[in-house]
Amino acid sequence: MAAIGIRNLSKSFDGFQALSKFSLDVQQGEFLTLLGPSGCGKTTLLKIISGFLEPSTGSISIGGEDITRVPPENRDTALCFQSYALFPHLNVLQNLEFGLKQKRVSRDQRDARVSEVAAKLGLETQLSKLPNQLSGGQQQRVSLGRALVMRPSVILFDEPLSNLDAKLRDQVRVEIRRIQQDYSLTAIYVTHDQSEALAMSDRIVVLNDGKIVQVDTPEQLYAQPKTRFVADFIGGANLITGRVCSQTKENLTSVETLMGQIQTSHRINKSSENVELCWRPERAQIGKGPYCGTIVHRAFQGQFTDLILEENDMIFRIQTNNDRFRVGEVITFSILPDDVVVLEADG
Amino acid sequence: MTMRNWIQIFALLMPGLGLILVLIGSVVYIAIAQSFGYYALLGESAFSTEFWSEVFSRKIFSRAVRYSIYIGFWSAVLSVALAYPLAIWLRKPFPGSIGLGALLKAPLLVHGLVAAFLYINVISYNGLLNQTMQGIGIWAEPRRLQNDSNAFGVLLLQVWKNMPFALLVLTGSVQGISDDVLDAARDLGAGPWARFRKIIAPLTMSGMQAAMVIIFIGALADFTFQTTVGPTNRQSMAQLMVSFKSRGDWHSAAVVGVSLMIIALLGSALLALLTRTVMRGSPR
Repeated sequence: MAAIGIRNLSKSFDGFQALSKFSLDVQQGEFLTLLGPSGCGKTTLLKIISGFLEPSTGSISIGGEDITRVPPENRDTALCFQSYALFPHLNVLQNLEFGLKQKRVSRDQRDARVSEVAAKLGLETQLSKLPNQLSGGQQQRVSLGRALVMRPSVILFDEPLSNLDAKLRDQVRVEIRRIQQDYSLTAIYVTHDQSEALAMSDRIVVLNDGKIVQVDTPEQLYAQPKTRFVADFIGGANLITGRVCSQTKENLTSVETLMGQIQTSHRINKSSENVELCWRPERAQIGKGPYCGTIVHRAFQGQFTDLILEENDMIFRIQTNNDRFRVGEVITFSILPDDVVVLEADG
Repeated sequence: MTMRNWIQIFALLMPGLGLILVLIGSVVYIAIAQSFGYYALLGESAFSTEFWSEVFSRKIFSRAVRYSIYIGFWSAVLSVALAYPLAIWLRKPFPGSIGLGALLKAPLLVHGLVAAFLYINVISYNGLLNQTMQGIGIWAEPRRLQNDSNAFGVLLLQVWKNMPFALLVLTGSVQGISDDVLDAARDLGAGPWARFRKIIAPLTMSGMQAAMVIIFIGALADFTFQTTVGPTNRQSMAQLMVSFKSRGDWHSAAVVGVSLMIIALLGSALLALLTRTVMRGSPR
């Protein structure tokens, strides 16, 4: 049985459709990320799961039990807020035990759970401090700890790292994932940061306009985006349209594009004449190859160099480990048929 | 700092500080001095504790103190208790909330004396309330409701007049609490009462204390409501002070006045402390 079952969920606000017939199962112990641009409905979904919003239609169950109309205080979920939402007048210890006191957990149990979580999160020396005496990372840990002591069936994260600086974000990201795995928690994580989603998740749900666009593992989502939206949203992507020319016995399809003929090993619907192709910038193999372009912009990024090429009024992007290329140089490159993905039409 | 800087700072502080020192300070000084026999308007001025001992020995004074504290305390508590749910309700805007908020604060614009006369019209022997109660058959004959001995009329008017002020102060405090903090409490299992008791009340403590203290001081020294709708068998401290003054006994009036100030000061401190103790609760 799925830990969370969402069936035909819809939510509208004054005529605006925030979620539309949304169905999804989340497995026990899974780390699932809701990814999408601002206004795509991910936070609305999280608020419906946590009980702060009622869906217009549809249902939600946790562990098989329908909780659609259950108020947040009676749900077995814990939410980590983007703003941390720590109680400013309570110290770290009081923040951590707040929920346990509400649930009337005995003093011994309370002390044991708080000690365990405080040790796990490195908060033992901070227990007597007020939230405003803590750094952003420490506040985030208290927020996480406050949710963890509740031992919820489902833990929900609403963009919890967005207020942290880049370095701390990387560190806390690893900590959240480790703790989720240690406690075998079922987690739903909301973010608009694709790198965060790729690094942390078992599965990612890409949302756009209140609908699921694709649900997949991070690897599949990156390597096999289904639509232009997903390809563009997850990582860098070169998108090009073309006309199907021929199919070979090796199941390779040739597509005529402005770049020239591109071969793909991915299946193409036989009735399709015009198709959209996608290839990732780092998959281009610089050197010999059928394609070429003039470097119009170069950005050194540390581990790799970003090159923007122009050819036949087309702009595309290539990433290489080699930092010797300069603006104005013409380079040739090839792309393996396996690395060229055929996209479905959006929507 | 140079002398020029000091003079500049002093000059800038003068309009505020000077007003406090000259106006309030001189009044307090005169009242204290007069209570000890100085500044006699009639007769000789000399230091004496006679007025204090005389006033303190009179039963009417102790009754007036108890009565004024009763009015001050319950006016403050009831006004704040009524204002809290309204402030929480009006915390988030909804269609009509601005109009409703303005309507609730309207009593601030009505003078107490006007309100007291309107109230008398409603509760008088042939007033609206008696007519209505008889009309719907609950009372067989009109009842005498004016100047009730428990001073419910005074309390009602005090709350009517002061609740909007408490609402004004508390609305600002309550609106300062972020939605996420309240949602977090709810998510952690806190119901409406627990959210109020453990989150809203402690986070709006300063506003609540300010409202309580200001209402307490105002109601403690009430004269208008007491003389129009208050019980006839007892006097408030302000009423007692005026009655001493009317008889030309300025020294006794000053004793009552200074007592009123001391009670206001101590009462405010106690009320603030009580509020903190009750609303904060024990830390664990």
